[in-house]
Amino acid sequence: MSLRIEAAHKDFRARRGAHVVALDGVDLEARDGELLVVVGPSASGKSTLLRAVAGLESLDAGRVVIDDRDVTDVPAGRRDVALVFQEAALYPHQGVAANIGIGERARGSRRRAVETRVREVARTLDIEHLLERMPAELSGGERQRVALARVMIRSPKVCLLDEPLASVDAELRLRMRGEIRAVQRSLGVPMVHVTHDQVEAMAMGDRVAVMDAGRVLQCDTPAELYARPATTAVARIFGPLPMNLLPAAGGVVVGVRPERVRVCRAEDGAGGDAGDGGRAGSVVAVEPAGEECLARMLPDGTDADLLVRLAWADAPRVGDRVAVAWRPEDEHRFDAATGERR
Amino acid sequence: MRRHPAIAPGIWGVVAAIRRWPLAMPYLLGSLLLVLAPLALAAALAFTDYFGFRAPEFTGVANLARLAGDRTFWDAVGVSALVAVVVVPLRLLLAVGAALLLARRPGFDGRGATTAVGRTSAYLPSVIPDAAWALLWLWILNPLYGPLPALLGVLGVPDPGFLTTPWGARLGLVLVMAFQVGEAFIVALAARTAIPARLHEAIEVEGGSAWFAMTRVTLPLMAPIVLVLAVRDVVVVVQNAFVPALLVTGGGPANATLTAPLLIYRRAFEYGELGYASTLSVTLLVLTGIAAAFPLWLAARLAARQRTRA
Repeated sequence: MSLRIEAAHKDFRARRGAHVVALDGVDLEARDGELLVVVGPSASGKSTLLRAVAGLESLDAGRVVIDDRDVTDVPAGRRDVALVFQEAALYPHQGVAANIGIGERARGSRRRAVETRVREVARTLDIEHLLERMPAELSGGERQRVALARVMIRSPKVCLLDEPLASVDAELRLRMRGEIRAVQRSLGVPMVHVTHDQVEAMAMGDRVAVMDAGRVLQCDTPAELYARPATTAVARIFGPLPMNLLPAAGGVVVGVRPERVRVCRAEDGAGGDAGDGGRAGSVVAVEPAGEECLARMLPDGTDADLLVRLAWADAPRVGDRVAVAWRPEDEHRFDAATGERR
Repeated sequence: MRRHPAIAPGIWGVVAAIRRWPLAMPYLLGSLLLVLAPLALAAALAFTDYFGFRAPEFTGVANLARLAGDRTFWDAVGVSALVAVVVVPLRLLLAVGAALLLARRPGFDGRGATTAVGRTSAYLPSVIPDAAWALLWLWILNPLYGPLPALLGVLGVPDPGFLTTPWGARLGLVLVMAFQVGEAFIVALAARTAIPARLHEAIEVEGGSAWFAMTRVTLPLMAPIVLVLAVRDVVVVVQNAFVPALLVTGGGPANATLTAPLLIYRRAFEYGELGYASTLSVTLLVLTGIAAAFPLWLAARLAARQRTRA
């Protein structure tokens, strides 16, 4: 089974003001049994893409192909696609069991058969104790588990998740990631997971598509995206921290990840001059982050600051003079005009 | 001053409320002077003989004894109940039906000119003053030159005699009261619009039909508010059926459309029996309260069941 999106284009006509281009020629493929994460800032078109695949949004141009069948003009209900909404879309007037089974009932299954299936699925997801409750009595994580159960109960051809962990607290999010992967493996179908969370994208995706302004900037494995971002935009969007981008001579922008920058204090004798590829400057802000800290420095003679991640024990103080440097192999080079990798 | 919450908690609660919300004072005063005081007065007059010329004379339960044997009153209550049983569901059907038709997905096709015209038309009958509305229907239903009997004649449907036969007149009364549903329509529209779009989209993705979405999602979620509308409509239909009965059918023929409020009006202002009319009024109020209690209770229960976190 597979999902292909070909040259998808979608405009929204605002009542006043200019058009909003939500999808601008998107090509994307999710292969059988693959978890494809679509990541991007808000309003990058990722939710529109998902809704177009589900059939809730029509395309102005392009095709949606599921299992080699063109479903572009097929209504949502006949695409055999499951969708988990950000807010779980539970029905407040029905109990959890009825909520899990509502899709089966909508497709005309008998009440008895549905009840049995609901129990089975609830056992698999370990939510049997929730079956008698009302949605209002569930926590954010429990609500999303119920939503996952609604996907599990059917065998869709494609499974779509629209920021399912956005309303789940941090600790539970970690566990839910694993649960979503488990559901995806047991279904064995392509799953498209939309998120704005970098960490989530990196941790979960077999492949990650980075979207911005209605375009897919790059689609590759998380490791490859991290190691070789294709453009400056990907370099800033993808990764635990945005990449530092420093203008250099010859129409080149030099990129270096904050976690690869090394710091030598100016007083240590390394001198104000950090030598080839390095910068000297003063620290303007320090943010503690547990074992580590995030320092923001302003290199001399520029107004573009530079992020540095370093061990908490080595944390500088605001106002300190520091020199930073990095290994040549940690340096990314982009074209200053086009932003593309050189 | 020491408080005695055990002795008069209600009074101290009211005092605290008044202190905390001075802005509520105009409303509180208004309901006190315009609703509660006249109600108390009517309740007191219900146990008197009062004709408006001399001071009311206390007669104990004499009025109640007379009420128990008053065939005309109980027949009028029957007419009111009958009209309510037909008109209230009809009005709800029109209001909710119009709301469902005219509340499309926001930003999609719910803002076009057609929707605006439809919404205005649904509300328009409620803008027309009751008396003008009644006179309009007097013309529409007229057996000699009214368009509705003429239309029925053209279609070959026998004319029920809207103003001339007992059942025809009751049908006419139903028609007059069925279409002024503007307020209920707007409330139902708000209730429909408040349902998050994703609940319908989830059904759409699952392959559920439009009928399934309406019967399993839309209507159950609107149910608490529709029940409150039902209560309001029972009150409107029973208490306010006065103008159409007075102006369109005049209670006739043969008292077939003599509704309870019209009878009370005649007792009070044509026969001058203000005391006994008060007895009838208070009785009608109690009966309406009983009729409204069940849907109100059900509405509260349903709303509590589906209450979601904000």
